[in-house]
Amino acid sequence: MTRIEVQSLTKEYGGRRAVDDVTFTVRPGRVTGFLGPNGAGKSTTLRLVLGLDRPTRGTATVGGRPYAALGEPLRRVGALLDTQAPHGSRTGRDHLRVLAASNRIARRRVDEVLEETGLATVAGRRVGTYSLGMRQRLGIAAALLGDPGAVLLDEPSNGLDAEGIIWIRGLLRRLADEGRTVLVSSHLMNETASFADHLLVLGRGRLLADTPLREFIHARVEPRVRVRTTDDGALRAALAANGHEGVRHEDGHWTVRHARVETIGVLASRAGIPLLELAAEEATLERAYLDLTAGETEFTAPPQEART
Amino acid sequence: MTFGPAFHAECLKIRTLRSLPGTLLALFAATTAFSAVAGADQGTGPQADPLFSALSGVLPGQIAAITFGALAVSGEYRGGALRVTLLSMPRRGLWFAAKAAAVAGHVLLVGLVTAGAAFAAGRAGLGAAARAITAAEAARAVAGCGIYLTLMALFATGLTAVLRSGVAALSILVPFVLVVSFVVGDSAGTVADLLPDRAGQAVLRSAYDGVLGPWPGLAVTALWTAGALLAGAWCVRRRDA
Repeated sequence: MTRIEVQSLTKEYGGRRAVDDVTFTVRPGRVTGFLGPNGAGKSTTLRLVLGLDRPTRGTATVGGRPYAALGEPLRRVGALLDTQAPHGSRTGRDHLRVLAASNRIARRRVDEVLEETGLATVAGRRVGTYSLGMRQRLGIAAALLGDPGAVLLDEPSNGLDAEGIIWIRGLLRRLADEGRTVLVSSHLMNETASFADHLLVLGRGRLLADTPLREFIHARVEPRVRVRTTDDGALRAALAANGHEGVRHEDGHWTVRHARVETIGVLASRAGIPLLELAAEEATLERAYLDLTAGETEFTAPPQEART
Repeated sequence: MTFGPAFHAECLKIRTLRSLPGTLLALFAATTAFSAVAGADQGTGPQADPLFSALSGVLPGQIAAITFGALAVSGEYRGGALRVTLLSMPRRGLWFAAKAAAVAGHVLLVGLVTAGAAFAAGRAGLGAAARAITAAEAARAVAGCGIYLTLMALFATGLTAVLRSGVAALSILVPFVLVVSFVVGDSAGTVADLLPDRAGQAVLRSAYDGVLGPWPGLAVTALWTAGALLAGAWCVRRRDA
């Protein structure tokens, strides 16, 4: 059981608080998504947990001990931070061999993780010739090298193609199912929702949410229905009669807020309204996340004037 | 985490990069070639020190040793490589000691072979003048030369860790050993003999006119190196990675 515990963690850079009194626990057996806009302090928090940066205040432990106190840390914790880290003139296999040697990890693990991350055929090539996606896979291979109980990945799907993204989702799921602690940072809500069981949301260094993904969706996502009909008048009347508020858009479709397809579908059917389209709106998860982090974003574009 | 695996990993890092073994090859080639030329060229003359002439290839050759010491660390300061290193070896002082030991081991080995070859090449060039060199002097100079090259490489290692840049360290050290020390060394008196490179070079001479003898001279260089390494270790431990 390798649990990650962060207690009142604070990091200041010249008076600016990058991480501000953050407390959370990452539990094994599930994928925890670590979300936040750019500059929210995700990477800083990961570096503090991994003992690379010194906290201004607070503590971070992995399996009950500070990272720096772990004997052969790669056997306990695997981490992916920078894809540019491996030396461009070294081969992928040699990069992993060096890491294996430092933690007395068996040589065969190098070939195993190369195979697992799909790099076996390019392992003898210099890292400088790798694409961003291949470097990303090499970083993940390094994280898995010591068969660790906890895995921390900073934006692992960066630079991966569609196939790679599907692969990493499966990998994260498998690692969690094997009982490992999995913490994955991202700045994209929808992507995180595709693999995470639990969410930690950070904004301007503060922890904004620590909740199961399902509860987050339930509590924050306003259900909406998209409807299209041939009889706009009847639909308007039926919605109004049942206390729903629909908005008709120029291209002819309606949006009904605070409603679910189950209700609207039955309602339309009872009223004998012919429906051309009936769907739950998906974009609202991203919206809920943006609402939560609004005002916590460090770099925001000025609002655009509406043109219509 | 113990020293053995860390040392093993650092040695592996050196051997798996083409540039680093290449620099050691350059150390051997440059030192031996310049010694051969210098031996043939400067063997005669009233103030000639045949021992120093035979090993004078070290003066340009040490640039390769310094470069090796700098490059072995500077790779850690590119693109977050140090983070990966410290994730695998979080005890920073121990890691830096392993890095320095790996640099030292490689330079000492290549440095001793180089010194032997350079001395043989230089002596061949000197011809009759080489007969003035005693076997004891030769053994002392060859062993001292290997140690001197090692100390200079480690000096660069420490300085690179302080500056976090191989380019910065080399742009200080290379002009220093090529120009400053050379010019100041000829004009000034005793202070110049305490410069890190000038002090240690006493071990290469049969007649030393400075304040320091061969081994005390080498000890002064060792003090400079120890200072640079301690400063480097302090920076590695203190700074956020």
